[in-house]
Amino acid sequence: MQRNISIASFFQVSLVSLLLVVGSHAAVAASPDPTEQIRPFLAKVTATLAEPGLKSKSRQEQSDRMISVIRERFDFREMSKRVLGQQWRNLSDKEQSEFEDLFTQLLQYVYVDKIDDYSGQQIQYTLQRVKADRAEVQTLLVDKNKSIPVFYIMILRNDQWMIYDVVVEGVSLVRNYMEQFNEILRKDGYAGLVKQLKNKITELEKGFNKS
Amino acid sequence: MMNNPLGCTERQIRRLCLLFAMTAMMFSGHLVAAAELSGEVASSEKFAGAVDFLSDESYEKPTSDVQVSDPIEPFNRAVFTVNDKFYIWMLEPVSKGYSKIVPADIRGCIGNFFYNLGEPVRSVNCLLQGRFRDAGKTLGRFFINSICGVFGLADPAGDEFEIPPIYASFGETLSVWGVGDGFYLVVPLLGPSTLRDFSGTVVDGVASATYTPWNDDTLTTATAQGAKTVNRTSLHLGEYVEIKSMSFDSYVAFRNGYYQMRSKQYDHSTSSK
Repeated sequence: MQRNISIASFFQVSLVSLLLVVGSHAAVAASPDPTEQIRPFLAKVTATLAEPGLKSKSRQEQSDRMISVIRERFDFREMSKRVLGQQWRNLSDKEQSEFEDLFTQLLQYVYVDKIDDYSGQQIQYTLQRVKADRAEVQTLLVDKNKSIPVFYIMILRNDQWMIYDVVVEGVSLVRNYMEQFNEILRKDGYAGLVKQLKNKITELEKGFNKS
Repeated sequence: MMNNPLGCTERQIRRLCLLFAMTAMMFSGHLVAAAELSGEVASSEKFAGAVDFLSDESYEKPTSDVQVSDPIEPFNRAVFTVNDKFYIWMLEPVSKGYSKIVPADIRGCIGNFFYNLGEPVRSVNCLLQGRFRDAGKTLGRFFINSICGVFGLADPAGDEFEIPPIYASFGETLSVWGVGDGFYLVVPLLGPSTLRDFSGTVVDGVASATYTPWNDDTLTTATAQGAKTVNRTSLHLGEYVEIKSMSFDSYVAFRNGYYQMRSKQYDHSTSSK
């Protein structure tokens, strides 16, 4: 009886280790494809935008719903780091996480504002470029009578490609905010930037009347 | 059936049109082939201001690399405010009303029509920049869309022949010739530009006025320009307000956006493939 158990556990252990070896080998052999990873994510984003009933929900609920989806493949820390450029290093750890939190709150409204506009536009994947641990996935947002090129810039983190910039018609979100933030930092310092971010978020929370 | 002045039958006219279309297509095909033979002088060269988003440099450096000075910022900001008011109070309400009357696909066709009229000017600019292959493609697009696309209302060149629209302007030609930007300029009613790019826009406008049919008097020209603007705005409703609501200093946001967008337009390294 004792012997049987030990044989059984031996088999179990060897099976598990075999699986581990095979598994890790497979992971090395197939470096993840950025387009294959972003495709289900963007499908989920568009499905969420089209969710019935989301349009009539409160702005707070809408942004909570969107952030839970986009967090999955956005690296907001990397985004925050890049948007502040050299200034990032001058911030304390606490300030860095404070800024990351505020910048994330701001960016979720980019998607919240799309809830009203989204009407089933399709995404085409046109090209991808990979350079070491960076990737650029080029897509085309196809609407009835126009198509908008949207590029996603990604970094590889533990086998997962994470987005840190979105480039719409050649305009990078990070670089655009970078210049605006630089001006604010130059004039009013970090405290001024935090104040402006908070004001903007409050303003966006209330929502503006678009129609 | 209407009597036509030449006295041709409908069938003859149709045959004639088909013949003309085929000749034009062959002609444009030859142009592309000839351009390919003569070598891609400029298209293989990478545009100096091109941004590679995969390199960290483009993020670490401040955005000044794609930017020119803004010495007349107070003036520009004033014009920006006036333009903003004009957009909010005039252009957007008019375009919104227009979009409710005219269906989206027809507005798309009207947009195509105006774009197609600019193709000859684009083609000449490509030639002036030494982009011979692009010049041929642009002219090919003009012939195909004017004939098969019913005066450019549709875009069969892009949809069926897979020749996507190609960017070219006289501002770009001047930049290829080594003319500097001068300074950032917000033009009344027109928006962000630079001294050089605005001069280019004027030259392109005068050039296309030589063959567009509505330049007999100022009123007709203004009406045509207005229709073009309202139609374009109706296809991009809400975008301006959205960008503005997401930005901290919309003047800076649009200035930066202008430069970034222009870098992409001037970069033909990927679009030529």
